[in-house]
Amino acid sequence: MLERHFHTVRTEAPGLEEPAGTRERLRDAFPRGATRRMSQLGMLLGSVLGDCGPTGEDTIVYASAYAETRALEAYLASFPTPSPTLFQTSIHPSAVQQVCVARQLPVRAFFPHAGGAQLVAHALRTAMLAPSHRTLLCGGEERGTWLLERGHASAETFAFAVALSRERAGAVGTLSLEATGDEDGELALPRFFSALHQRRPLAQRAAPGLTVTLKWH
Amino acid sequence: MPSADPFPVRVDSSACRTAFGDARATCAALLAGRRALQPHPIAGPDGGDAVPLAPMPGRSLEETAPPGWLPAVDELAAEIPAEGWGSPRRPVFVTSSNFGVGSLHAFQRTGAPEHLAYGTPFACVDFLRVRFGWGANVAVLSHACVSAHLGLVLASRTLHAGLADRALVFSFDFLSPFVTGGFGALKILNAGFPAPYAVRDTGSIGLGDGLAFAVLARDQGEFTLAAHSLHNEMHHLTANEPGGAGFSACLGPVAAAAAGLRLWVKGHGTGTLEAGRLEAEAVARFFPGAPLVSWKGSLGHTLGSCGLVELVLAIESLRDGRTPGTVGSAAPFFTETVAAEAFANGGYDGAVLASNAFGGAHAACLLHHA
Repeated sequence: MLERHFHTVRTEAPGLEEPAGTRERLRDAFPRGATRRMSQLGMLLGSVLGDCGPTGEDTIVYASAYAETRALEAYLASFPTPSPTLFQTSIHPSAVQQVCVARQLPVRAFFPHAGGAQLVAHALRTAMLAPSHRTLLCGGEERGTWLLERGHASAETFAFAVALSRERAGAVGTLSLEATGDEDGELALPRFFSALHQRRPLAQRAAPGLTVTLKWH
Repeated sequence: MPSADPFPVRVDSSACRTAFGDARATCAALLAGRRALQPHPIAGPDGGDAVPLAPMPGRSLEETAPPGWLPAVDELAAEIPAEGWGSPRRPVFVTSSNFGVGSLHAFQRTGAPEHLAYGTPFACVDFLRVRFGWGANVAVLSHACVSAHLGLVLASRTLHAGLADRALVFSFDFLSPFVTGGFGALKILNAGFPAPYAVRDTGSIGLGDGLAFAVLARDQGEFTLAAHSLHNEMHHLTANEPGGAGFSACLGPVAAAAAGLRLWVKGHGTGTLEAGRLEAEAVARFFPGAPLVSWKGSLGHTLGSCGLVELVLAIESLRDGRTPGTVGSAAPFFTETVAAEAFANGGYDGAVLASNAFGGAHAACLLHHA
């Protein structure tokens, strides 16, 4: 069984807050002017990752099913004169990159996961196999507009970050991943986020062969 | 300096498709100095300036529903050994930069809702998963143009952790107005044909379709992936740190892992000037005398899949005994070690394969005969 402890967990659940509201609320968390071109998800991840104090030696594992939905929608709307800024912002790992670029934080290893019902299990597997002393597991979604109406975007906006390590002393919780022979299993990102946000325990077959357990101390 | 990932694995089977065809056909074309890139309207059916693109023969940039790239994916998938992929001990790692995002552009353009079934990464991969009969143990990774390398790294780690018996890495990227328009807006996709590592006034890239797979195992296979290294500069979303620190941070650990080996280097080499110069200088510094090649001047940049497509081509070239040169380029180069022409590789112990991406992302691995 793979196991990592966490001393820090941060969540953002802004409800129906629009990007402009997030920008106003979080602008002091970034260098002056940096939020001007940041997506809502980028700002929220900046908020939760900032509390974890990322360093260059950390591994960052990022989980998001839809990632930069608003930038994607806006980029598509910019045709026939596509926007270069929205193009680069629309790529899947952009939210974490916006944060790290704004703060000039190089990182050795960065694993951006997409996916659906097995996303949490696979991102956790990546986090627990990282050889670095500490791994920052983060993720989130931003509420879509026209893609949401079509069922291809998140209905919720949220973000989280958990700093995982092998240090048990003083930990507030433990995440474990057990290899099983189960042929099925699912644990989508909103449910995992909800457990972190509400400090609820979790034990679930989360993907074929993988059971996830979240314990609070 | 951090060390490279010390999790060697074997490549038990692999295959790819480019605009030239399979690995053998592609290598033969590269060895003959042929260029797959041809001028195509940047906006597909909506026209626009002609830019160098290498889509699969007969494939339109504008998506149909089901997608026009599906026959190529089906053809490649038919070559994957049937081993119960997606089951608990046979994980799949699907990597891409674009997945089916061209279908979102098609939906935006036509309003036809059937395109949406392929538009998001999850929807696209789940469609393919069901089509190929894979189980749900399918991890999805998207880190722009180093995506495929991440799949190789995670498959290697998963095998060494005892969480899998064998692992499948599958990668695909297809051009669409979504991506050609974006690179055109960034001004790095223009009328010029790419000339990787060449000293010239204006840089330019070409883009191509590409897809590949590799089956990895701990102790079975003709070739070994011996070391991996990763680094993310996070200096700028699309530009490298001007001192080249990112290239050094990634290539240094691979050079240490490869000490004593005689190597050639397949670089990223898209045809942009600054990144090309920084990469060529770093390669010359860490692998003195090693010939440096890029194949993107012929095939175009196959985006998130380039790392796997070019790994399969490197394997093919090691089998063949000749490494294709930097097709589309001519001296003067940024460094003297850039190889414009094909060369015999029998005297080399293996190759270093490197890719870069937005955000100053770097990935490199060491490949040699098992």
